[in-house]
Amino acid sequence: MIEKTEPKPGSQIFSRRRALQLAGTSAAAGLAALLWTRTRETQGSHPGKASSRRVEGTLSPVRSRQQVPGNSPNIIFILGDNHNAETMGCAGHPFIQTPGLDRLASEGLLFKNTFNTTSLCSPSRASILTGAYAHHHGVKNNHTPWTGQMTSFLEYLSLGGYATAFIGKWHMPGEGLPEMPLLDLFVSYTYREGQGAYFNCPMIVNGQEVPSRTAYISEEITDYAIEFMQENLAQGEENRRPFCIYLSHRAGHPPFQSPEGIAGMYEDADVEGILPDQVDPWWYGKSNGNVFQGVMMGSYYNQYRRYCETLTAMDRDIVRLLEFVDQEGLRDNTVVIYMGDNGMQWGTHDCHGIREPYEESIKLPFIVRAPWLIADPGERRQQMALNLDIAPTMLDFAGLSTPEDMDGESLVPFLTDPGTQGREHFLLEFWRYFPENTPSYRGLRTERYKFIEFERGRQPWLFDLQEDPREQTNLYGTAAGEQIVPALMSMMETYDS
Amino acid sequence: MENRGTRPMIWKPLLSVFILALVSYLVYYGSRRIESQPVHQALSFLFGTVYFCTIFFGPLYIYTYGYLHGLSLPGRIVTSSLIPFLWMTKDVIQLTESHPFLECLYWYLNPLSVWMVCLLAIEMGAGTLLGRAILKRRGQPIKVVSVGPVAAIVIGGLVFGGIFAWGQGENLFSIYLDGYRLLFGSGV
Repeated sequence: MIEKTEPKPGSQIFSRRRALQLAGTSAAAGLAALLWTRTRETQGSHPGKASSRRVEGTLSPVRSRQQVPGNSPNIIFILGDNHNAETMGCAGHPFIQTPGLDRLASEGLLFKNTFNTTSLCSPSRASILTGAYAHHHGVKNNHTPWTGQMTSFLEYLSLGGYATAFIGKWHMPGEGLPEMPLLDLFVSYTYREGQGAYFNCPMIVNGQEVPSRTAYISEEITDYAIEFMQENLAQGEENRRPFCIYLSHRAGHPPFQSPEGIAGMYEDADVEGILPDQVDPWWYGKSNGNVFQGVMMGSYYNQYRRYCETLTAMDRDIVRLLEFVDQEGLRDNTVVIYMGDNGMQWGTHDCHGIREPYEESIKLPFIVRAPWLIADPGERRQQMALNLDIAPTMLDFAGLSTPEDMDGESLVPFLTDPGTQGREHFLLEFWRYFPENTPSYRGLRTERYKFIEFERGRQPWLFDLQEDPREQTNLYGTAAGEQIVPALMSMMETYDS
Repeated sequence: MENRGTRPMIWKPLLSVFILALVSYLVYYGSRRIESQPVHQALSFLFGTVYFCTIFFGPLYIYTYGYLHGLSLPGRIVTSSLIPFLWMTKDVIQLTESHPFLECLYWYLNPLSVWMVCLLAIEMGAGTLLGRAILKRRGQPIKVVSVGPVAAIVIGGLVFGGIFAWGQGENLFSIYLDGYRLLFGSGV
């Protein structure tokens, strides 16, 4: 149900931005050449890929706006925050209600093996936007500034003729928000380290601070997304450009707060069977440095319940967004994607948080709905997908080729053909992030093994994920491990180039 | 005040709180390895509660004891702060697993430490009042309430509550991280 159709604040800002864009369009050829030059700086093969769809040589990665065909799909990319991949109804969670995500999964595909490559908010977000590993895009931890040196897929799409909007949590370090003049709409916030607040969060709309219009942040950013679509549709079929909306939620991040109607809905939910045995409700959130993870207050069990409530609150707005897409007849020409920036550990391996390279931290919820491409909606895909595949996938949807400086690869072939061979391995990397107690590490995950080398303080990890999916037995230093490690190290070396 | 000649006796409460903290710490964390869930939950509740009580309220006992035994104000402040300081130091040592030593020292300034200092101020004020009340009950002509300890309680409470009200400590944490970046950049 769409209820809020108030005019956007500062419509003049949009006009000025539009003017900037038109100026940008006239310079598109020059920018395209510049971007093409940039993409050529990083050449060479990308390890871990079964195949490469990258176009090399003379083809520019961007096209001029005039070349965009009328049937380019609209794209809505929804990003969750610290969303454990199993905490969705469609993933089998015993009590959480996520009808929106469940609907997406039933009408699209749920990827069961999707990972981030750096398990921390800012690096993962930068990887999603740029399609690159953190050692490549440079946002190594939540203190390292976003430099804008790599072009985001949103900017490529803008140059490719899309109406683009970034709405919601940016959360990458730097002085305020970056200038992104190619985007039609840039709505975000810098409040509290860019984490924002669940209620009455001051927003920054195209560079201007505006007060919150809707109390709860998930509703607020969804309103902006719907208004952006309304404005786009109002331009008429002949004039309007396909749109891409990057809708980035805060839900899932502490301190967990939900709106009326949802707050407290899991009060009686049995979490004892979900959380690991070693977790106690009284003191777990206050021990092991967990106080800085936002779970210090009250019972740890209740913190988990509140976490689930924020995800349900976000889902309520995903339902609203999908209803709008249906209502406007956009369903069959709009890709809708949901992904999390990180997973989340709730006490597994005696850890709380997102930064340890266990499966619960690195595995992401990932659902794609693209009705005209997917012949087997409701199915699951087992191939390994990554956060850094999002950017090339977006460009592929738009009919644009993947720039050379992107490390990811398009996932579109997985949508159309369930038998498409996925990557064989990928790099896991992490740079220490004060004040959290995880050393810098670098490692490799294959379909079967996970190997992690820490910079200091810990022995390496080697897990056989096939035999030991819960990562209970470190094989490093064992006879079995010694046989496996050389091959894994040699695979890792392929990333050094 | 009494027994001005027995200042070394302050080690008695200090050591007893420390041993209680150490034992409860070991049992609390050790209980996570116990297979039986009811036993684990019972032990973790009991010893977790004791552990955190020794850290958060042990200073009140030590300070009051020091007051009753005539320990000087600096002596009372130092000895009653020792257990929380050791608790923080444990975390600093753990942090050296991941970060250089200098950065780990910065950990001492985190918002939790600020809260701890506020709590200590409240407990020192309360300890003074409590000590005086005990001495008065024992027949010493002493005024229980005075500006100093009351001010410590009020100011400590206001700062403590104020930090919590101001974004549940999140805003202070942001400032803390700003300070980190100022000193150490991104750290990598």
